[in-house]
Amino acid sequence: MQTGTKISLAGHGLLMTWVIFGAWFPSEPLPSNVQQVALISAEEFEKLSQQRKAPQVAPEPAPLNEPAEVQPAPEPAPQPDPEPEVSRPEPVARAEPDPQVAELPDAQPEPEVPDAPPPAAEEPEIAALVPRVRPEAAPRPVDRVAPEPVAPPEPDTRIDDVVQPEVAPDEGAETEQEVQEATAREAASDRIVTEENEGEDIAASAAPAVSKRPVTRPSRPKPQPAPDTQVTEAAQPAKPEEPAEPEPSGTSSAVADALAEALAGGADVEDPEPSGPPLTLGEKDALRVAVSQCWNVGSLSTDALKTTVVVAVSLAQDGRPDSGSIRMLSSTGGASSAAQQAFDAARRAIIRCGASGFQLPAEKYAQWRDIEMTFNPERMRIK
Amino acid sequence: MSGLKLAIAAVAVLGLAACSNKPWNDDLNGAGGAGGAGAGAGAGALDPASPAYFRQSVGDRVLFAVDQHTLSPAAQATLQGQARWLAQNADYAVTIEGHADEQGTREYNLGLGAKRANAAREYLISQGIAGGRIKVLSYGKERPLEICSDETCYSKNRRAVTVLAGGLTG
Amino acid sequence: MRNILAALLIGASALAGAGAAAAQTGPLRIEIDQGVIEPLPYAVPDFVPETPAAAEYAAEIARVIASDLSGTGLFREVPASAHISKVAAFDGPVKFSDWKAVNAQALITGAVSVTGNGLTVRFRGYDVFAEKELETALQFTGTTDGWRRMAHKVADAIYSEITGESGYFDSRVVYVSESGPKNDRRKRLAVMDYDGANVQYLTNSASIVLAPRFSPTGDRVLYTSYESGFPQIHVLDVGQVQRKVLSSGDGTMSFAPRFAPDGRTIVYSQTQGGNTDLFSMDINTGANTRLTSAPSIETAPSFSPDGSQIVFESDRSGSQQLYVMPAGGGEARRISFGEGRYGTPVWSPRGDMVAFTKQNKGRFHIGVMRTDGSEERLLTASFLDEGPTWAPNGRVIMFTRESQGSSGRALLYSVDITGRNLKPVKTPDGASDPSWSPLQK
Repeated sequence: MQTGTKISLAGHGLLMTWVIFGAWFPSEPLPSNVQQVALISAEEFEKLSQQRKAPQVAPEPAPLNEPAEVQPAPEPAPQPDPEPEVSRPEPVARAEPDPQVAELPDAQPEPEVPDAPPPAAEEPEIAALVPRVRPEAAPRPVDRVAPEPVAPPEPDTRIDDVVQPEVAPDEGAETEQEVQEATAREAASDRIVTEENEGEDIAASAAPAVSKRPVTRPSRPKPQPAPDTQVTEAAQPAKPEEPAEPEPSGTSSAVADALAEALAGGADVEDPEPSGPPLTLGEKDALRVAVSQCWNVGSLSTDALKTTVVVAVSLAQDGRPDSGSIRMLSSTGGASSAAQQAFDAARRAIIRCGASGFQLPAEKYAQWRDIEMTFNPERMRIK
Repeated sequence: MSGLKLAIAAVAVLGLAACSNKPWNDDLNGAGGAGGAGAGAGAGALDPASPAYFRQSVGDRVLFAVDQHTLSPAAQATLQGQARWLAQNADYAVTIEGHADEQGTREYNLGLGAKRANAAREYLISQGIAGGRIKVLSYGKERPLEICSDETCYSKNRRAVTVLAGGLTG
Repeated sequence: MRNILAALLIGASALAGAGAAAAQTGPLRIEIDQGVIEPLPYAVPDFVPETPAAAEYAAEIARVIASDLSGTGLFREVPASAHISKVAAFDGPVKFSDWKAVNAQALITGAVSVTGNGLTVRFRGYDVFAEKELETALQFTGTTDGWRRMAHKVADAIYSEITGESGYFDSRVVYVSESGPKNDRRKRLAVMDYDGANVQYLTNSASIVLAPRFSPTGDRVLYTSYESGFPQIHVLDVGQVQRKVLSSGDGTMSFAPRFAPDGRTIVYSQTQGGNTDLFSMDINTGANTRLTSAPSIETAPSFSPDGSQIVFESDRSGSQQLYVMPAGGGEARRISFGEGRYGTPVWSPRGDMVAFTKQNKGRFHIGVMRTDGSEERLLTASFLDEGPTWAPNGRVIMFTRESQGSSGRALLYSVDITGRNLKPVKTPDGASDPSWSPLQK
C-alpha cells in the first residue's frame, strides 16, 4: 500500500471517529488560552476622563427671567368683526399678546363657499367596491397617515386642513369676496409605510379612489336666523303654531303649553339641560370626522399614545370652539406628563379644525354647545 | 538552476512585499495567502520546501458551504497535503485564518470563521501535526478575497487559509 | 273627541320629552379614535443677536434646532419665507395670529449673546393655537465652540416638551469609519455628534477595528482591535484618546464587548478552540466569569438597562436566534421564533424592547420586538442591514447599511421605531457599527 493511501486511510478513520465522537471529547486546547488582563483601576479611569476636552456647557440651565411687561403697540384699531360671536382666547401667561392684534382668520369675511365636506358622512361614496389600482397610488411613501388615503393633490394646490375650491374674484359681486386659493388635503396613506411593508399590495384596498362630494349640508347659521326667533316663540306659549286646534280652551291651552314647550325646548338656549331632537348619528359622525382630521398624533411619545384623554369644550353658535373652555376632564393609561401631551394634541385638533366653525345644525345648538370628546389613540399606535 | 532559484527568491520577495502592504496583518505571510496568487509563474518548478510551494502546489485553503464548518472530501484532501508538508517542514508553525462571506452579521461571522479555522486545525491534528504548532484566528467577513455579491464570490470567501509562520529557512 | 285629541297630544308630547331625555343627558359625547400622523409644523425664526459678536451664532443656532426637529420626522419647519411676523426682540409680544395664519403650531424664539468666548442662549417655545408658552424657557451658558451643543439642548427641550419623550439631540455616536475597496477596507474609530457634525478620529487604520460601544456615561468606548494580530478588546477614553488592552492572550479571540449599566462590568465573547462563548469581566479587577458553555456560537450580548439580564444570540438551536438569560449566567430563554435568523440584539434604554438584525429569504432587516419576543416588527429591508443601536430616548435606531456588489460600501442610517423617517446619516467616509452615547450632561 502506498504511504499516501495509508495516511489517507488513517486520516479518514480519525476524521470519522472525530465526527462521530467529537462532540463528546474535548478537543485539544489551544496553546494559550488563559485570559490575561491589563488592570485598570477606577482611579486611572477617573484620571483619564478628567482632562477631557469638550465644549463647556453649564450643566444646569438657568431659568429665564420674566419677560418685560409688554406695552400695547400703537396699531390701528382692528377691523370690526362681522360675526357676532367670537371666542376670545385667554391671554397668554408670559408674553402678553398684543391686545390690538385681531384674530386674522376671523376678520376675513368668509366667502359663501360650501365648507369642508365631511368625507365620511351619510352620503354613500361611489359604490365601486372592486379594488382598483390607483395610478397615483403613491410610488413614494407619503409622509402622512390619515384615516383614509388621500391622493396627492394638484401640484399648485395649497395644502390645508380644510378642502376649499378655488374662488376667483367676482367682478360684479355685491359683497366683496376674499380670493380663495384652492386648497386640498395633503396626500396621505392610510397606514404607516415602512421600507419593510412598502412593497405590499395597497391596491387591494377597497377604498374608492375618488369619493363623491357629499351634498352640501344646511350651511352654518347666519348671524340672525333661527335660534333667537325660536326663543321668542317659545316664550309666547299662548300662540302655538303647530296644534290644529283653532279655539283655545282651558285644557287645550294647557296641552298647547306643554306641546309648545316640548317642541321648542330644543331651541331654548337658556335651558341648562339640553333637550329637543338629538343630533343624528350622521351629524355626530361628521363632527367626529372633522376633529379627527386635525388630531395629529404623529409627534406624540409612545407613552402619550397609550393615554386616552377626555376633553370638554364649549362651542359658540357658529360652531367655533371657545379655546378658553377646552379642558381635560380625565385621562387613563399614561403618566400625567403623557396626559398633558395627549391633551395638548387634542386641544390643537379642536382649535385648528374648529377655526372656521364645525358644521353642526344650528337648530340643535343646545345639543352641541357643550361637548365631551374622548380621544382614544389605541388604534393609532401601530398603523 | 541558479537563475531559477533567483526567480523563486524574487517571486517570494514580491509576494512578501505585497503582503506587507496589507494593513491588517503584520505577519510576513499575510492574510489569506493573497500574495501567493501573484506568484503564478511555473508553480511546478517551485522548491517543494518553500512557502510558495505550500500555497500553490499543496494548496493553502479549504472552502466551506453556506453557514457550515464541516470539511468536504476535497477540503480533507487539501488538509492531508498540508499535513504531509508540515510533517516534512517541521520548523513551521501555522495560523489558520477562518473567513465567512458577507451574508451574515459581523459577530456571528467571527464565530463562524473561528469554527471553520478550528475544523481545519482539528483535522491537521488528526493527521499527526502537534496542536501547539497551529493557531486559529477568525476574520469573519472583514477580509473577503472576492468582492462581488453573488455565490461565485461568496464560495471563495467561505474559507480557512493556513498561513505559515515562524521559520523562513525553506 | 277634543279630549281624545288632547290626550293623544299629551301622550305625544310626553313621548317627545322622554325621547329627548333618553337620547341625551348632559353634554354631547363623542369618541375620536382616528387621527392623522403627520409632522407637526413649527417655526424657528433666527434667534435675536443681543451682542454684535452673537450675530453669526444667532442664525446658525436656529438652523441646527430646525435640523434637529425636522430630522426626527415628527416636525416640519414652516420656512422663514412664509413668516409674517419677524421676531425683533426676544421679550417682545408674540403675534399668535401671524403664526396661526401660516399654520405654525409651535414657535421657538431665542436670543444669543457673546462675551469673550462665553455664549449665552435663551429661548422660549409656544403652543401657537393654544396661545400659551411652553414650560421650557431656559438659558444655557457655555463657550462659543460649544454652540452646536447648546442648539441641540434647546431642540431637546422643545422636542421633549411637545412629544413627551426625552430628547436625544445632545448626544454622540462612535462608529467605524471605512475607506478603501471591499477587499482592502481600512477601518478606524471615529466619534461624531449624532447628526454627523464634529467628526473626530480616535485610532489610525493600521489594524482592523470593530464594533465600538459607549460606556453608560459616554466617556469611554469598548471596541475590538486586531492590533495584536488577534481580535482583542480595548477600552479607549474618548476625551483623551488613550487606549488600553482589556483582554489579551495569544491565540485567544475576544470580541463583541458591551458595558453593563454599572460601567465597570463588561460582557463579551471569547473564542477558544473554535467555540465562542460569553464571559463577563470586572474591568477594575480583571476577574472574569464564564456565562455560557455550549458548543454553539454565543455572541452579541447586551445588558438590560437594570443590569439584571443579558440578551444575546446563539445558534444552539441550529440557526441564529435570540435568547435572554440572567446577567450572571444560567438558564437562557429563547425569545425569537419567527422565520429566518436573528442576531445582534440590543436592549432598548427604556427596557421594553429589543432591536435586532434579521436575515430572511436573502434580505436583511432591522426590527424590534418586546423583550418576551412578542410584537415583532421589521422596520427596514435591504441587501444588508445590521447592528442596530438605540438613541438615548429609545425612539430612534441607527444601524449599518451595506450596499451590494464589488463597489459596495457601508453607511449609517437611522429610522424611527415606527419604521418611518428612514434616512442616511452624513459621514465623511463609509461608516459602520454605530453606537449611540447617552444624552450628554
